[in-house]
Amino acid sequence: METVIETRGLTKTYGTVKALDGLDLSIPRGGVYGVLGPNGAGKSTLFRTLLGLIRPTGGEAIVMGGRIGDAAAMRRMGSMIETPRFPPFLTARQVLEWLGRAHGGVTPTDIAGWLDRVGLAEAADRRVRGFSVGMLQRLGVAAALMTRPDLVILDEPTSGMDPPGIQEMRALIRSLADDDGVTVILASHQLQEVQRVCDRVAIFNKGRVITEGRVSDLTASGERLRLSVTPLARALGVLGDRASLDGDAVVAAIARSETPAVIRALVEAGVEIEEARWIGADLEDVFMTETGWTGVQAGAAKGTAHAG
Amino acid sequence: MLVDAIRAESYRLSKNRTALFWSLLFVPVVGLLISAATFIFAKVNEAKLAGKLPPELGLNSAPLDLGAGLVASAAEFANPAVLMFVLIGAATVFAGDYRWETWRLTTARNRRPNLLLGKVVVVVGLTIAATIAVLIGDIASNLVKAVVFERALTFSLTGAQTADLAWLTLLGWGRIVQFVMLGLLAAVTTRSLLAALFVPLVVGVGQFFLPKLLASMGVSPDGWLTPLLTPGMAADLLKAVILGGAAAGDLPPQALAKGVLGLVSWTLAPLVGAIVWFQRQDLSKE
Repeated sequence: METVIETRGLTKTYGTVKALDGLDLSIPRGGVYGVLGPNGAGKSTLFRTLLGLIRPTGGEAIVMGGRIGDAAAMRRMGSMIETPRFPPFLTARQVLEWLGRAHGGVTPTDIAGWLDRVGLAEAADRRVRGFSVGMLQRLGVAAALMTRPDLVILDEPTSGMDPPGIQEMRALIRSLADDDGVTVILASHQLQEVQRVCDRVAIFNKGRVITEGRVSDLTASGERLRLSVTPLARALGVLGDRASLDGDAVVAAIARSETPAVIRALVEAGVEIEEARWIGADLEDVFMTETGWTGVQAGAAKGTAHAG
Repeated sequence: MLVDAIRAESYRLSKNRTALFWSLLFVPVVGLLISAATFIFAKVNEAKLAGKLPPELGLNSAPLDLGAGLVASAAEFANPAVLMFVLIGAATVFAGDYRWETWRLTTARNRRPNLLLGKVVVVVGLTIAATIAVLIGDIASNLVKAVVFERALTFSLTGAQTADLAWLTLLGWGRIVQFVMLGLLAAVTTRSLLAALFVPLVVGVGQFFLPKLLASMGVSPDGWLTPLLTPGMAADLLKAVILGGAAAGDLPPQALAKGVLGLVSWTLAPLVGAIVWFQRQDLSKE
């Protein structure tokens, strides 16, 4: 498997705090790769380290075939780390002109095209000091993409955007991966968004990767069988520890291959089955389980879990 | 490439009208206005002030030599006021990326030494433009003086005066560049725009007055260490060498070498220090 990023034992400490704790991670070329984790999990530290903004305390990382800071490799990358900030006296077009000059090889036509693609064509000649957070995000994405990189790191690209903006950004990210062959590494607080747009994800906690894999595989492992049955008590008795009540139904954590045997056992026990269907775990469930979030934390985070 | 870094930095500075105004226009424009007001006041009150004004103000009816005025301006333009306003632009360039947290946007696009050297080249260009602007302001001031006092204008520069003008301008500019490099080191090490402005300003103002203070204490630049440690003294040595005459009468041995070494050391050491520091610096807030 060809990788764009390979880290081995990557460590970054701030005083006594280990932001990255011997991180081993391989990110394959192609597709959209999600990086999730609670606040302080080490996600932003990883990005900053990969981009050469901060120096690792230990370990090593290969990025686009070069070591961290390798100029040739860096020029093939684009990035937006958290909400971008820009010199306030510049207009959106001037920001891209300035960054394009620093990189070299970016034409005014390219700049106009990217401003249009991120929805800032009408605001192109407005100073950025008056921009909303969502507009700054759009400009940051344009700045990350305008040099046509092979690898793009986007940290919270939809933060502060309205729903149509989020949808547009999601489509843009998928289009980059599917049509332009760009590898996109994406961190987001919006787990539903990650599930929709990412092919693979890594979940971080305390500076380490605690689980990694294809989104479809991770969510499939949490599948459960939902049974609308009567009487509930008898069904629970048959299924034992593997079942729990969900309203007026029973949810059974079993493998798909066990389905016929479970149905047969319930029928033989005199349980009437009105409906049986598989329900999939979503990424949020996986995230909550893997990071150990439960109860009040999970309830409060439902919908927009904190993936820092 | 360095040329890309220079293009980017010069483009950004060209859009920063505030920094350009304070660095390039404020001193010559305000200087010209103050001069014009002074000349007009003196002319209006000529009778009352007769004999009370110092003759070096030139408020008389003798012909005014613009060439000689230019040489006099070149000898004095690198003063704390000019330094302070040039430093506003320099500090903005050097510390702006820390202030706006924009290093994360540029470091992936070019090598770190290129990005820093790009800033240095642009600021050096800014100091050249400021030098020219101040000298043009002084010429304009002399023209106003000639008009107000109805003095005839002449322009004569002998070969020696032309050489003096060139060397004095180079010295004054070099002196500003030297303090600008201190601003670079302060910006990189502290990540602060205020430090980039005030550290070289305080050192600069001190160095304008320190040589006189040291002289009054009996410290002379006879050895190598004193001019090396006090760039103000090194600059004064060079000015005396250029002007010659009475000013050069008391020069210590190897004054030229001491002066050049003092100024160059104080220019290159902060530059090298800033590049080395910047290469190893974490450029992101946590």
